[in-house]
Amino acid sequence: MSSDLHAELGKLLDSDRVRPPREYETAIARVVAEPANLSELGELILKCERDRVMIAPIGACRTILHLRSQPVDAAVSLVRMPPTISHEPDDMTVVAGAGITLAALATALGRHGQYLPVDPAFPERTTVGAMLAAAQGGPLRLSAGTARDFLIGVQFVGHGGRIVRGGGRVVKNVAGYDLMKVMIGSFGTLGIITEATFKVRPLPEVYVAVLSHHAEMLEGFEAGFRLHEALPLLHLELLSPGLRMPLARDGHYLLAAGVGGNRPDVDYQVDEIRKTLPGSVVLEGGDAQKFYRAVRDVELPETSVKMQISVLPRQLPACLKAHAAHFRAHVASGVAQAALNGDAQAVVRLRSAAVVARGNARVLAMDPALRGAAFFDEPAAGVLKLMRGLKTAFDPAGIFNPGCFVGGI
Amino acid sequence: MVKWSAMAEGGQTTIEVDGALREELEAIVGASAVVSHRSELKVYECDGWTIEKSAPDLLVMPRTTAQVSAILKALYRRGLGFVPRGAGTGLSGGSLPLAPVMICTSRMNRIEAIDLANRRIEVQPGVVNLHVTDAVKGHGYLYAPDPSSQSACTIGGNIAENSGGPHTLKYGVTTNHVLGVELVLPDGEVVELGGPAEEKLGYDLAGAVVGSEGTVGIVTRAILRLMRAPQSYRTILALFDDVDAATRAVSRIIASGIVPGAIEMMDRLIMDAVEAAFQVGFPPGAGAALIVELDGLTAGLDAHCARAAELVNAGGATSVRMARDDAERQLLWKARKRAFGAVGRLASNYATQDGVVPRTRLPDILREITAIAARYRLRIGNVFHAGDGNIHPVILYEERDADETRRAIEAGREILKACVAMGGSLTGEHGIGLEKLHEMPLLFSPDDLRVMAELRSVFDPSNRSNPGKVLPQPGSCVEVAAPRRQVPL
Repeated sequence: MSSDLHAELGKLLDSDRVRPPREYETAIARVVAEPANLSELGELILKCERDRVMIAPIGACRTILHLRSQPVDAAVSLVRMPPTISHEPDDMTVVAGAGITLAALATALGRHGQYLPVDPAFPERTTVGAMLAAAQGGPLRLSAGTARDFLIGVQFVGHGGRIVRGGGRVVKNVAGYDLMKVMIGSFGTLGIITEATFKVRPLPEVYVAVLSHHAEMLEGFEAGFRLHEALPLLHLELLSPGLRMPLARDGHYLLAAGVGGNRPDVDYQVDEIRKTLPGSVVLEGGDAQKFYRAVRDVELPETSVKMQISVLPRQLPACLKAHAAHFRAHVASGVAQAALNGDAQAVVRLRSAAVVARGNARVLAMDPALRGAAFFDEPAAGVLKLMRGLKTAFDPAGIFNPGCFVGGI
Repeated sequence: MVKWSAMAEGGQTTIEVDGALREELEAIVGASAVVSHRSELKVYECDGWTIEKSAPDLLVMPRTTAQVSAILKALYRRGLGFVPRGAGTGLSGGSLPLAPVMICTSRMNRIEAIDLANRRIEVQPGVVNLHVTDAVKGHGYLYAPDPSSQSACTIGGNIAENSGGPHTLKYGVTTNHVLGVELVLPDGEVVELGGPAEEKLGYDLAGAVVGSEGTVGIVTRAILRLMRAPQSYRTILALFDDVDAATRAVSRIIASGIVPGAIEMMDRLIMDAVEAAFQVGFPPGAGAALIVELDGLTAGLDAHCARAAELVNAGGATSVRMARDDAERQLLWKARKRAFGAVGRLASNYATQDGVVPRTRLPDILREITAIAARYRLRIGNVFHAGDGNIHPVILYEERDADETRRAIEAGREILKACVAMGGSLTGEHGIGLEKLHEMPLLFSPDDLRVMAELRSVFDPSNRSNPGKVLPQPGSCVEVAAPRRQVPL
């Protein structure tokens, strides 16, 4: 089967652009196609629709590796697509190919003192496409929001190989339906995102990290909520004890606040934090940057399940206290990544707690032994019907990353 | 019995809105909430886009989600379309009825829950934009989107149009502040999309509803994000000899890395109108005014402000002054936000356009607008969100002069074409509505438009909700060169 498919796709693309999966990709796909431009990608999709070949986009494989329990026939990598980064510093917008890594994008923007303040972990291993498709975010969500607040234009190749664009290149635009929102968090189920246009921001003149240690979890959260009420922080995380973090203290929760602005802004905020939390440690310059990266990239210990929950911010402490073994919490955003010990029932319990707290939870990674549990909560029947309708409208042949999204979409 | 000839675009032909329907709707909402007299319906014949007019045959004013659901079910059974309406302040003909029944949500005006600790507020769609901020400002919070019509426009209308406002430069437009919506689908089913949590479960359908211009059903409740009010504001008024110099100053500010809360511009024509109405103190002779507002922590604000003032000075400002106190700041904003109304002193009619260009192209588009005004022998004023590149040319015309009306429509189109040619968009915050329907192919390919139509169909497969808006129907290339239908008096 896979050798036939390999040969078939090889007829379509140059044979060197169809390859067997690398070892870490074998759980995801039987072959990997690497189209070099939009028309090749369109042809590929047309053929896959005709032959009922299931496909899924892969960036660095980190999301989909956990998401899929069965491989698709062909993975689509955008690594050979033109590495577009078209930055207009004076307009503060950038167009980026979906296969570009966030690190490469940050380097290009940084040359002009700008950045995209959406900061999932490991930017050198996260592509623009993966960030959008899996709705990944990071600490800066507190002050900047998420990808949905910065994506002003999107291009994807979908059903029939058609190239579709939504939005545009201007920072304010309400022409037509918002295809950007539809594609963000769609996990490759509606088409393959090929290009994204973002509005960007100037880098803060000064960035300082302030951290404090708390013996009790709730005390850490309370301190965080107090800071959030008083100051426009860039980010605010609480990390459980035992994570590999610089300046962690044994058995203590680590509260990490990011402060940005001009010098007077930052000095004022640091003073205020010190008044609230007298023992806090202030990091400047390179130390602050290094600490921020550690907060952004922190990895939770290996447990049977890792989940992300998103609830009303004030309900987050109770959810984590009852159900998480380890966590990184974006305190005032109500979002946390949590490591759980236990079986499929532990997943169900956290999920129920999240629903009670008016939110949701999704699995980020799961022990293969637990692979009965769904990765996503089940939406209400009426909502799921709309989601199925959307899937059918955009992917009538059902070839785009099928079977692993909400409600089995 | 009232007969209504539907637009071919809505896919509906002649429909009779009969007494039985009126009775059924009266049973749902009460007799006082159903309007069928021609004279009363005339109020609803247009929104802020006054070039085209068409009154509904029946107007219903529900108060609850259950009533909206029951109304839509009744219409669905009869195969009738409907048009949702908020306060009617829209500027693109989005609530101009091309379906027989109008559903006005202005009586659904309850704030249902305020949760300051989580910075959330739940409101019915008829709540007036400004009332959201009014409800929380005593505690130091605000709702960020602030359209110029914010003292009248409703949250439901804001959601339909994805409305902006001056301060969206820093804080984003409506979609950035709507976390969830309750939506009644055209068949009457009620669904909750999104919710108070930041991350979405499954597809971001709430995100798809915002900006859909009433074409996917009726939003009956919204969960909005509140923000902490900035500690301080600094508001600068800078005057320039001409708009060219003013727009170049805008580019300098943006490029400097300062992110103001708002950068607004007015040209001479608008300044004259505003001065006559509000006596702001604009001196005669200035060709353009910029309002630059910075907000944030008091500590760093003066440094930001000094830098911004330096940049406008270097950009050729003839005068730079800072609002001395909150009263002066409020006066400046009142002048800016009511500028459109003030224009009413200059001509009996005006059409406000809403194009967008990349910020660096502002000088080019303004020169183009001047040329278009000359070519079409019209007066065009400019008052707009300069920081976003979102222009609002105000085209003055006399409705009774058919030729001038035609020229006003054509000049508006030329301006939009020029925006698109410069890499911009047809609309930054007013929506496509009916007004810009036929310009959509300038911006989007047939495939783009087809996919958008497919998205719409997910919610409204039989095209009942606000038919004939946003997407041009293939084969119905109606040129709007005159009022679509005059309402018989």
